[in-house]
Amino acid sequence: MTAQSDIQRKRRRNAIARYTRHPGLMIGCCILLLLVLIALAAPLISPHNPLKTDLTNTLAPSSTTYWLGTDQYGRDIASRLIWGTQVSLKVALSVVTISLVLGTLIGAIAGFAGGWTERIIVVCNDVLLAFPGFLLALAIVAARGSTLESVIIAVAIAFTPRVISVMRSVVLTIRPRLFIEASHAIGMSTTRILLRHVVPNALPPVIVVATVSAATAILAEAGLSFLGLGVQPPTPTWGNVISDGNSLITTNPLISLSAGLCIAVAVVALNLLGDGLRDTLDPQMRRQTGRLI
Amino acid sequence: MLDYLGRCLVQLVVTLLGVVTVAFFLMRAVPGDPAQYMLGDYATKEALAVLREQLGLDLPVYQQYLLFMQRALTGDLGSSVVTGQPAMTEIMDSLPASAALAVTGLLIAIAIGVPLGIISAVRQGTWVDVAVMMGALAGISFPVFWLGLVAILVFAHKLSIFPALGASTSGGLLTQLYYLMLPAIVFGFSVAAYIARLTRSAMLEVLGQDYVRVARAMGIRESRIIGRLALRNALIPILAVIGVTFTLAFGNAILIEVVFSRPGVGSTLLKAILARDYQLVQAGVLVLAAVVVVVNVSLDVIYGFIDPRLRVT
Repeated sequence: MTAQSDIQRKRRRNAIARYTRHPGLMIGCCILLLLVLIALAAPLISPHNPLKTDLTNTLAPSSTTYWLGTDQYGRDIASRLIWGTQVSLKVALSVVTISLVLGTLIGAIAGFAGGWTERIIVVCNDVLLAFPGFLLALAIVAARGSTLESVIIAVAIAFTPRVISVMRSVVLTIRPRLFIEASHAIGMSTTRILLRHVVPNALPPVIVVATVSAATAILAEAGLSFLGLGVQPPTPTWGNVISDGNSLITTNPLISLSAGLCIAVAVVALNLLGDGLRDTLDPQMRRQTGRLI
Repeated sequence: MLDYLGRCLVQLVVTLLGVVTVAFFLMRAVPGDPAQYMLGDYATKEALAVLREQLGLDLPVYQQYLLFMQRALTGDLGSSVVTGQPAMTEIMDSLPASAALAVTGLLIAIAIGVPLGIISAVRQGTWVDVAVMMGALAGISFPVFWLGLVAILVFAHKLSIFPALGASTSGGLLTQLYYLMLPAIVFGFSVAAYIARLTRSAMLEVLGQDYVRVARAMGIRESRIIGRLALRNALIPILAVIGVTFTLAFGNAILIEVVFSRPGVGSTLLKAILARDYQLVQAGVLVLAAVVVVVNVSLDVIYGFIDPRLRVT
């Protein structure tokens, strides 16, 4: 009895150690946690109102009151960046949620149903995959107008097909396995098999793809904001701050540089997390180190 | 082989039809009335009615779709509302500038990315590998437009090596190339990061194969193993990587063009979006996606030639 629980405890400890021993995974997690805290505590920690313009104090250099200086409207850059964390994380989280739910569902249906259902889904998916992700997001935002909502929808539509194709290929490898056949034999319904056996087994690679799409979502949102098609100013987003500093890059480079660093830190954290999860969750995926987006 | 070519052709046609369909339904995704969207809130009823008829919006949706399909197949994508020129002509006029950027950038990316990926796989776990992979992580994590801004700041303003603008309106081929260099390098660097990561994993996979282990056991020199066995077998996945990055690169090219104020499909597209020139947006999206589809299918054909295994299935 005690021996058995000892083994169990040891096994669990090994499982946890697998994660904690991966430096990239831990660094990524810590940075991400910090960013989430900053986003949640934005009203408390931001030194100034990110929207308050002060035309007597434009383009101030960095000082103790204005850590990173002010922009051409006299708004505090540091506060805008702190509040911008919220928008970026909101976009990343929503895109991941939408593409995970839709992608696993559609991918599982395609892989499990086979026949014409699968063929139609695959063809539609291939067409969406043929579009460069950013171009598709750009076109959707252009059609729907630039609100936070349509940015999220646009980026999610651009990245869900990638989750679908990963999910489908994983399901295809699981489907012929013996335990699925056994479940069929004991009279389990297809829905139940999908939810109980297929989805949990397919989740690791899908989670890795989702983490990567969160990173890409942040980059895509920033790119759209930079083009003036993302969440509209004066809402503080990292992309908007870069865009504001664009024309001032020679005189006040700090504006654009600091906002770009924020984006890079968030994306590096998500990429480290994605790489780390791939190494630990799913050893088979280890060879696919690259990004397909 | 003919069978394989046929399959590629079918795939090309189906995907292109799909791309046209998506482009059509994007127009439909405009909430409310596209005519109202194009003319703004203060348009008169008459103007709206005229534009609606011009765009065929008074027809039922399936008729509009068939009409659009029919016209798209003949290369007619409507005309720009702003300039009145055929949308196809406008896009085609800006395509060479984009192609120059994409091709130069990709060449730079391949020249940097592939060797670095190979070195880091061969020296897996050493400081060289760590350094290359950290650089690549930075390359895929920094927004490409921001890298462009930094490059302008450093190389154009501080060091004055390159011009800040990405294109010159006058001058011969050399001047054009000189102006192209900075945007192409920035573009190449960001794409090189992806290529290096993917090349490294393709190489690592080959190096882990049994035949490599056998070759090592036989005492064959490491340089020969890498050159003869690993590199040759990793070539196909590396080519595939370059195909994938081509798709990715088109999204980045739009941003690069805007940062460096370069003419090109990306800049034309952005201008069209801001001017609510819907037909032009549609045409731009369609042409860019079609280029990507054609390139990818051509690459598939090339793989078929290189690797006979791919022809079966």
